[in-house]
Amino acid sequence: MPSINLHPTSSDATRTTSSTVPVAASNPLPQLLQTPSGLAIVELQGTINLPSIEAEEEYYEKYGSPSSKHGASFETPVGKLMFPDYSPLNPDDTKWMKRAYLYVGRYQRMTGEVKKLPRPIAVLQKRASAAHSEELEVVEIVRYKVFFKNRPEPVNDI
Amino acid sequence: MSTQTALSILFTHTQPQQGFRLLELPPDLEELLTSKDAPLLELKSPSFALAQAVKDPSAQEYVNLCTPTKTYRIRQVHSSNSIHIIQPSHGEISQEDIKVVEEEAGEGGGLNLPDEAVTAIAKCGSTLELHVPEGGFSAIKFLEKALRLYDPRSGDDDGDMTMGENASEGVLSVTQHRELRDQVCADIPVSAAQCEAGWLELCAFVYGKQEVSCWRPSARMRLNVWKRFVEGALLQGIDLEKQFLVGDLWKSVLDDDSDPPFPRPLLEALVRRLCTEDERPPLSEEIKWASFDKMQCIQWVGEICLAATAPMASSAVGRSDFLRVWKDCLPESWRNDATLSKLPEGSYQSPDPSAMFFVESSQRKQTSKVPATGAAAAKAKTTRNWHELLKNQTRR
Repeated sequence: MPSINLHPTSSDATRTTSSTVPVAASNPLPQLLQTPSGLAIVELQGTINLPSIEAEEEYYEKYGSPSSKHGASFETPVGKLMFPDYSPLNPDDTKWMKRAYLYVGRYQRMTGEVKKLPRPIAVLQKRASAAHSEELEVVEIVRYKVFFKNRPEPVNDI
Repeated sequence: MSTQTALSILFTHTQPQQGFRLLELPPDLEELLTSKDAPLLELKSPSFALAQAVKDPSAQEYVNLCTPTKTYRIRQVHSSNSIHIIQPSHGEISQEDIKVVEEEAGEGGGLNLPDEAVTAIAKCGSTLELHVPEGGFSAIKFLEKALRLYDPRSGDDDGDMTMGENASEGVLSVTQHRELRDQVCADIPVSAAQCEAGWLELCAFVYGKQEVSCWRPSARMRLNVWKRFVEGALLQGIDLEKQFLVGDLWKSVLDDDSDPPFPRPLLEALVRRLCTEDERPPLSEEIKWASFDKMQCIQWVGEICLAATAPMASSAVGRSDFLRVWKDCLPESWRNDATLSKLPEGSYQSPDPSAMFFVESSQRKQTSKVPATGAAAAKAKTTRNWHELLKNQTRR
């Protein structure tokens, strides 16, 4: 088996294949979680159930696809990510890291926190430019994650 | 109140998802990747033939991550949690869908929605972890299988490998050497520096007339070359402990009028192995000057001598016989320094008090590993990692 090259940096700035957004410019996350590429990590116990792709496609065939206007990629709202104690005025204070909420839909909420990773994580991706051979690249090195270790609990609408 | 001022971000899921892998970085690798001129890394696994020849006890199939100098074994660790990779959203979400998250417009008319959004673009069920097994990685056991054995008297097809009349035919450029070496190393799942270290240790060389190959000289062959060094140096008045021209040493081993006794690349490989470290040029450069370190040479000659005369338990030799052979291989003034204590630790075993035989370096490591694996097992017992704990329990 031949060796596979792993490039230490991304081949170009618009790396995440489908993304055309100038990501770093408008990152809504707390500064600590922001990375040059805009990528961040959210870990949660369990899975987020989404409509299967087939079901979505069927739906859009019937009622028209909102995504057809801008290519194959589309977004489904899941909920809200909240950092209740975060203040952009005081970014050096790290107490806000202790509390984060992820609302799934309107009535379920997970409580978690922002954690520094014991070891940073490199996000790897296939290099888009290398069509002929498989090549990987490090897209980003992430040092923090938003971690929801608890099960969701029911809440009233906010 | 707090929710009003709180940072609230719409969270969406992008379809289709992208493929990512997460790689946990040890501190030294992080430093390397974040350095200004981060080098290209490689994911290497052995060729099929090498994987068959060099079994790894811990895994049947594996991939190693190699930096220019280091090697890590990759281990895929599955997680029961979902790990989502998110990025700032494209911001094009259908208003119809948004009702999932927020009630319809209130009296004010606008939705109470956060302006900004992040979107999950990938989900990873596992992380790649890196580790270095005890004893580290070495290219030697792979090189021993990948390189052809150079021992002209032992094999018939090797017999014609000594240089013929057209000595220049066997001489290859430095670039050709490197290309051939790179070909061999491509199949060896360790870093380039570790491949080079193994190459150096084995005195491997590139040579051939019609068919160019990479070779490793047998212990007997290495000893013969060393003996020619000593003889030649004595005749030509070369002091091996002081800096000499490698070209002069080559001339000194040539008999007048007859063919060279062995290829010049072999001589250079040995000189490279034995020369003092600060004088050793990188493998990509020609070695022009060298000087030998006396103690290092004595030790090396002792080991090679034993490997050539008593390679296994059944061919054990008497200690005094071995010492005599060893001393005979050394320059006159070095003789008294050849004592058994100079041999590397574990390099020989004694079936009885008067005899001894050679132990391969790979075997040596294994014997010294036995207490180490015991320690690893003890460590696993104290660990809180329940995977490890359960694994040990089921074994009992």
